[in-house]
Amino acid sequence: MSRRGFLGKSAAAAAGLAALAAAMSPLRHLKEGDLPSVEDFLQKHYKEMTAAQKARALERIRERVRARHRVEAVVTDPPPMDGVEYVYGLNISRCIGCRKCVHACVAENNQSRAPELQYIRVLEMEKGSIDVETANHHYTPPLVPRPDKWYMPVQCHQCANPPCVKVCPVEATWQEPDGITVIDYDWCIGCRYCEAACPYWARRFNFAEPLIPGDAINPKISYLSNRPREKGVMEKCTFCLHRTRVGRLPACLEVCPTGSRKFGNVLDPNSEVHYILKHKRVFVLKADVGTLPRFFYYFDERGSRYHDPIEPGPVHATGEGA
Amino acid sequence: MRPVYSLASYTYECMECHRIIPSPEETLRPLTQHTEIEFNHGINTRCFNCHHRKNRNAFVDDFGAEIAWEQPQLLCAKCHGPVYRDWQAGSHGRSNGYWDTARGEQVRLRCIQCHDPHAPPFGSMAPAPGPNTLRMGVPAPPAHSGKRDPLRVYSGAEGAGNSH
Repeated sequence: MSRRGFLGKSAAAAAGLAALAAAMSPLRHLKEGDLPSVEDFLQKHYKEMTAAQKARALERIRERVRARHRVEAVVTDPPPMDGVEYVYGLNISRCIGCRKCVHACVAENNQSRAPELQYIRVLEMEKGSIDVETANHHYTPPLVPRPDKWYMPVQCHQCANPPCVKVCPVEATWQEPDGITVIDYDWCIGCRYCEAACPYWARRFNFAEPLIPGDAINPKISYLSNRPREKGVMEKCTFCLHRTRVGRLPACLEVCPTGSRKFGNVLDPNSEVHYILKHKRVFVLKADVGTLPRFFYYFDERGSRYHDPIEPGPVHATGEGA
Repeated sequence: MRPVYSLASYTYECMECHRIIPSPEETLRPLTQHTEIEFNHGINTRCFNCHHRKNRNAFVDDFGAEIAWEQPQLLCAKCHGPVYRDWQAGSHGRSNGYWDTARGEQVRLRCIQCHDPHAPPFGSMAPAPGPNTLRMGVPAPPAHSGKRDPLRVYSGAEGAGNSH
């Protein structure tokens, strides 16, 4: 071998080794427990797991929460209830835009605090208009509501025809029989197609390692909703299914000081949401995109708004019909 | 929700005084007692529209009969029919507990637990902080190197305001 040839080859080999070292360098920062166990690695899709495998998966989640957060969690997997289809109603005549729902949701669902992740966005719009393009979600007045504005919280609409489910290349997200669209966080590959497909901007991506400070974690967790997520997976509102599937109301509803939020089983003719759909004036956001949301905005009669007093209207003295 | 009145760190039951002290027949302002009550209830300006003349531990219905203190919604329904109907059906008012009443109790607050009956319009409050998330927050100013890290959001108080 010539000297020139030898030098060239060893330079190439050195470059190759350096590239390999660079490619492997993230492994140096691995801590114990960062790599999935063999059992984690072989875990099946949620819908393909047997009852025993599911129980093992829940147990692994419990162990991981104990190791990372030093909290004894209660991990459940409540199934959908028979004859139940959830519907949400939101009274936009009453919402004052205080954002209490946003932060109750973050606490309940173990969302990352840094970087911050929130499922609910509260849009502030000019009264008399509904233009989500120019709506503002960064409003910071000392007091809400501002008299010339109205407020519209937006979160996952749990569509009956969900575009986010259609685009998922690995079927990591699907619609449950009770209408809730869920994600198997262990099956998600993080391609973010669903985020792009959602017309309501209701899905969130964990760009960075989610951080939940020590005692802030909610220990009542379930597989499909609020268990701690990993970096690189999508997450979304699940109507708090760990609460609602055992009959309780969602966290965003319970915290609302105005009672604007209503939730229940639309198949039950005595339910609140059934009454709202039957008797109230109701609309869905972006009805034209054909997603058939299960999240309905409704409003009360004129004059019932707290800063919209009833004033006698102009007297119509036309001869028409009189 | 009890018929009590607090004055200078003492709490009285209404009837402790009103058993012996009569109220004036016409109760238009200005009052000599209860002057701290902020009154903002539209055209409803007379005490005995709602309070019972004889029994101050009760409200009064349209025919002068008593309405129990624990059932204020029956009093409010005298004027606010549509809201009362909505409250009964559950589309107005705050609920807590269970949506499925077969599994647990649902607590529904009554009118005067949210509204001050003397000044019923729902008050305003300070909003909780707005989103400072990666996609919705205000991006951090570029570092000294001139590079912008998309995973950094700006937590500074200034500038986190009204930009879209």
